[in-house]
Amino acid sequence: MKKIAIGATFAAVFAGLVATAPVRAEDITIGAVIPLSGASATTGKDQSRGIELAVKEINANGGVLGKQLKVLVEDSGGKPQTAIDAAKKLVSVDKVPIVIGEYSSGNTIPLGQYLVQEGMPHINPASTSGLVRGIGATSYSVVGLDNVSTEFAAQDVIDHGWKKVAVLAMNNAFGQGVAEEFKKHFTAKGGEVATTVMYTIGQSTYRRELQQVEAAAPDAYVFTAYGTEGALIMQEAFELGLQEGKPWYSILITMMNKDTPADFKAGLIGMDVGYIGEGGDAYKTEYEKTYGETFLSAYGGYAHDAVLFAAAALNKAGSTDKAAVLKAIEDLGKEGLKGATGEIKLDADGQRTHQPYLKFKVEGENLVAYD
Amino acid sequence: MPDRDRGGHFYSGLQHRPIAGCTTPSLSHNAGSSAAASAGIAQTEKSMFQFLFDVLIRSVDLALIAVALSAVYSLIKFPNVALVQYAVVGAFVAMSLHAAGLPLLVAGFASALFVGLLAVVFNILIFERLLKSDSAIALIGSLALSMILSAVFLLAYGPTAYRFKLQVSPAMRILGARITDHQVTTLVLTTVALGLFALILFRTSLGREMRATATNGVLAAATGIDTRRVTNIVVFLSGMLAALGGITLAMRGSVSIDLGTNMMLPVFAAAILGGLGNALGAVVGAIVIAAAETVITNTNIGPFIGEDFYFLPASYAPVASFAILVVFLLFRPRGLFTSEVNRV
Repeated sequence: MKKIAIGATFAAVFAGLVATAPVRAEDITIGAVIPLSGASATTGKDQSRGIELAVKEINANGGVLGKQLKVLVEDSGGKPQTAIDAAKKLVSVDKVPIVIGEYSSGNTIPLGQYLVQEGMPHINPASTSGLVRGIGATSYSVVGLDNVSTEFAAQDVIDHGWKKVAVLAMNNAFGQGVAEEFKKHFTAKGGEVATTVMYTIGQSTYRRELQQVEAAAPDAYVFTAYGTEGALIMQEAFELGLQEGKPWYSILITMMNKDTPADFKAGLIGMDVGYIGEGGDAYKTEYEKTYGETFLSAYGGYAHDAVLFAAAALNKAGSTDKAAVLKAIEDLGKEGLKGATGEIKLDADGQRTHQPYLKFKVEGENLVAYD
Repeated sequence: MPDRDRGGHFYSGLQHRPIAGCTTPSLSHNAGSSAAASAGIAQTEKSMFQFLFDVLIRSVDLALIAVALSAVYSLIKFPNVALVQYAVVGAFVAMSLHAAGLPLLVAGFASALFVGLLAVVFNILIFERLLKSDSAIALIGSLALSMILSAVFLLAYGPTAYRFKLQVSPAMRILGARITDHQVTTLVLTTVALGLFALILFRTSLGREMRATATNGVLAAATGIDTRRVTNIVVFLSGMLAALGGITLAMRGSVSIDLGTNMMLPVFAAAILGGLGNALGAVVGAIVIAAAETVITNTNIGPFIGEDFYFLPASYAPVASFAILVVFLLFRPRGLFTSEVNRV
């Protein structure tokens, strides 16, 4: 057993050496910091696949600035400090012109802030918190933030004919952004948010919060929740009879669907980011051919597009000079770029203006996308 | 659908009465509310039962662990912080046994026995030695043990929350309050456990020995009572009670490694309120803390700030425990009832 463990350690170290082998001078190298280990490792794996496919695609089409593109992937471990350390290494040792990263907003924001401090271009491939907008001048997102996703959700809820809703969201940067932005869009579309209840994550029961939203007697309940917490909220809503005759709508439904037993989510509908957008079929085919399975998460496609976007910006800049690259990213954001997740255009803050979302409904255990 | 908005505004009902045109004296001049204006007297009664029931259930959450804490304190004269973690151990062990196929009752009982033994082992290995120096050192030792246990849970179970795989059905409605099966089970289990504990304490020779040891350990030893044995029996029982507390909590929600830390403050407040060392006084302490918490989370303060509905976040509930704790430590450090305890 011990021998195997030692062997595995050596193998891992060796694999690490191979992965970070000195970059050949003739390559153009950019950096990526993603969670290859830790709680979000599955998403990180999907992101690294997206990156790998993008590199293959770009190099098959002539590479970047006449050279081969290479992406140095660093593990964030799902921790802010590790993510920043990885970015420091990419900037000061590898001298990459662009850094892509991370997955969760709590890591992307400090990572981005460090890069902005250094005047480095940063591309956010996954985080949707509204706070991402405030990272700084040289930070860009190829994924739509809360303002875009909540507008889609608000429209979807209105289209179902529910005019008065109660909102339940976790009390952190993500939940606050979702609650505020949803209220803004829903009110603008003629709906009424009767009450908003923010809950602390990690509680052993959410009965109190559920009774609080119930007091507002809404047409429907709109909520967002992480995995097992979402499951508990749905179970307690079921027990309290809050699901009787009242619809429930989940913002980013894939976060909590898998953890929730079918009994407690009958009739649940919701939305989430789309796996791919218009023109993304080629990517899907290639992905399934290469890895022999379907997408692990929704975020591989966005990581893929982050690389495409970075490569296109470098080509447009004609060099790896920081100022030229930043200018090229701004221009490219205005013109738009076709990626696996649809057309990517950036607003004045460098954030994606629109992106694909999917409407989901629960059938038994599973989610089914519908129009 | 007036039947719907009965959830939490027992107090809000009072605010809305002037609007609803009921006969009760007006308590508020604020007329900013519309949606809940339909709250009539019948409605308020229903809300009141829901409120009382919420208080009852929250008391049950706290009572078992608070009683355990207080009982042990009466003998070893320091509050064992690690008791809240014993509750988490109880919940996790019961869940693992239940997941392995044991019936819930058997899994729960086995887990409570296990935690009782674990408490005795920790008491002999750690606390008996620390107590030879000083009770303050034992208190810090128990805090350290609590942190170590928390770290062990993190390694063994990770940060996610776990639930029992139990049949869940919609709540029954009794007098307008919603009551679930598992809440009834919890109430019964808690009542039986506390009743048995009270019986042991007041109706058996063992209980007499416990009370004698608690009142004056030296004198008790002089009369031939094996005080060490008595202490370890109480520690064992306290471990079982704490485990049962954790298991009943887990039956009605989920358990993550934070549970112990989250329970620490309200449990301590309840135990101190009841008078540390006065085991059954902790039950009254639990009811007071539960009522204060429920007032904070169930009161619609919307009319005061010009909105229809605004509730304080449920995470503000511990404020009630803190405030009550500080007030009692300042003015009645011996708790609601007098007891032999001189300081906490």
